[in-house]
Amino acid sequence: MSVPSTAQGLAGTDFIAAQRRNRRLTRWLLYILTSIAMGLGALIGAVLVAQTASTEAELHEYMVPVAIFFALLFGLFSLIWTGISLAFGDRMLAGIAGAKEATREEEPQLHNIVEEMAIAAGLPKPRVLVIETEIPNAFATGLRTSRSAIGVTRGLLNSLTRSELQGVIGHEMGHIANLDTRYMTIVGVTVGLIALVSELALRGLSFGRSSNNDKKGGGLAAILIVFLIVFAILAPIAAKLVQFAVSRQREYLADATSVQFTRNPEGLIGALRKLTEAAKPFPGASGATQHLFIVNPVRQFTSKTWALFATHPALEDRIKRLQNLGA
Amino acid sequence: MDTTWIVIGGVVVIGLWLIVTYNRLVSLRNQASNAWSQIDVQLKRRHDLIPNLVEVVKDAMGYEQETLKQVVEARNSAVKATGPAEVGAAEAALTAATTKLFALMENYPQLRANDNVMQLQEELTTTENKISFSRQFYNDSIMGLNNMVQSFPANMIAGMFGFTTMPHLDIPESERAVPKVNLR
Repeated sequence: MSVPSTAQGLAGTDFIAAQRRNRRLTRWLLYILTSIAMGLGALIGAVLVAQTASTEAELHEYMVPVAIFFALLFGLFSLIWTGISLAFGDRMLAGIAGAKEATREEEPQLHNIVEEMAIAAGLPKPRVLVIETEIPNAFATGLRTSRSAIGVTRGLLNSLTRSELQGVIGHEMGHIANLDTRYMTIVGVTVGLIALVSELALRGLSFGRSSNNDKKGGGLAAILIVFLIVFAILAPIAAKLVQFAVSRQREYLADATSVQFTRNPEGLIGALRKLTEAAKPFPGASGATQHLFIVNPVRQFTSKTWALFATHPALEDRIKRLQNLGA
Repeated sequence: MDTTWIVIGGVVVIGLWLIVTYNRLVSLRNQASNAWSQIDVQLKRRHDLIPNLVEVVKDAMGYEQETLKQVVEARNSAVKATGPAEVGAAEAALTAATTKLFALMENYPQLRANDNVMQLQEELTTTENKISFSRQFYNDSIMGLNNMVQSFPANMIAGMFGFTTMPHLDIPESERAVPKVNLR
């Protein structure tokens, strides 16, 4: 039984401070991502002007406005695309094959714990799903707090104690409360757009290279094109790194939010230990849905070398931070 | 001409701020009273569950009559309690009594094999958790409401429309000392 020992040894400001710091970091990462997207747009605009301008004066007149126009166009386009993705959202769920709704009669304890965490979060109760696999893992999804779902695997239910399960459900409820599905959709759209436009720019350049020799902006165009090529190659990688960093920050945030709900870091710590030990790929989990899970179901990142490319922070780091919250 | 626009702009901004602040106060107050009624619901549910649990375990736990009696008595006085202070004390005593019962039940393996008992125990556990989570959420909501009601400039609107601070629910000392019991 785990009557959560409220206000026991846990200073109230700890998880609040952790959450504040995390939100600030996420915001900065989003600024970086936007800057990459707009920088790419500006460079493309500049190259277009340099390639098409026929006089020096034209070049000077149009360079800056066109660059700004393309940067804004890029921003607007990503905004529209994001809007469309959000409007036709809730598709994420379909990506997790084999997740079936579990009734109260089938899984009374799971339903109880989800209700407890919904009360702690002050949110409506999410739908409860179960995936029939022995590998323990859990996920949350939903673009709105009012239409969300929490899923767990059979292996999770079989291997965790009640308070560990509570910690995991608290983490998932944290994702829902912090609107992480929406966050990651927005980030994913921008990253996808950067990759697409970089690809198009590189292709466009290889087509149009020979035709611009007699134009006025030739020298400048050449420099800009080199810039654009380097940028178009690096931007998608940088955007991807930012996406992973945001994902990791949101995992830390969900961990802290779980402790806010349960006031018991030990449950989640115990669960994370067991989960990471047993984490393996299973059908239904893929690269597209890996960030939704509490521990990465597709890849294992324990070495620091690959930490930048991880969707989830290393287990030791997560536990260390949780222990900090409980201290 | 310019000053007219500035005045109109100022009025619009203040009007918007008024609406936003008022709505925020309403939603905080509703959140708090919702959490409060959640506590009530769960306390009633606990009162209903306890006699059932005592009924199914009393034969097996023949040597624990004293504890069972304490649980029933604590339950009955919690049902009868009125007023926040009395209810708080009675419910805390009830929590302590059921916790002791749960701990003792660990010694009876035949109870753990009984689906009915396990089900009732899970229901009681979740009910007690829900009580403390509602209380926690209530306190969090109250903190938001009280901060807003007391701080400038929102306090002007709060005063105008009769929003007042609400009291924090203290966790009774006896409940903080609840020992951890592992069910699995």
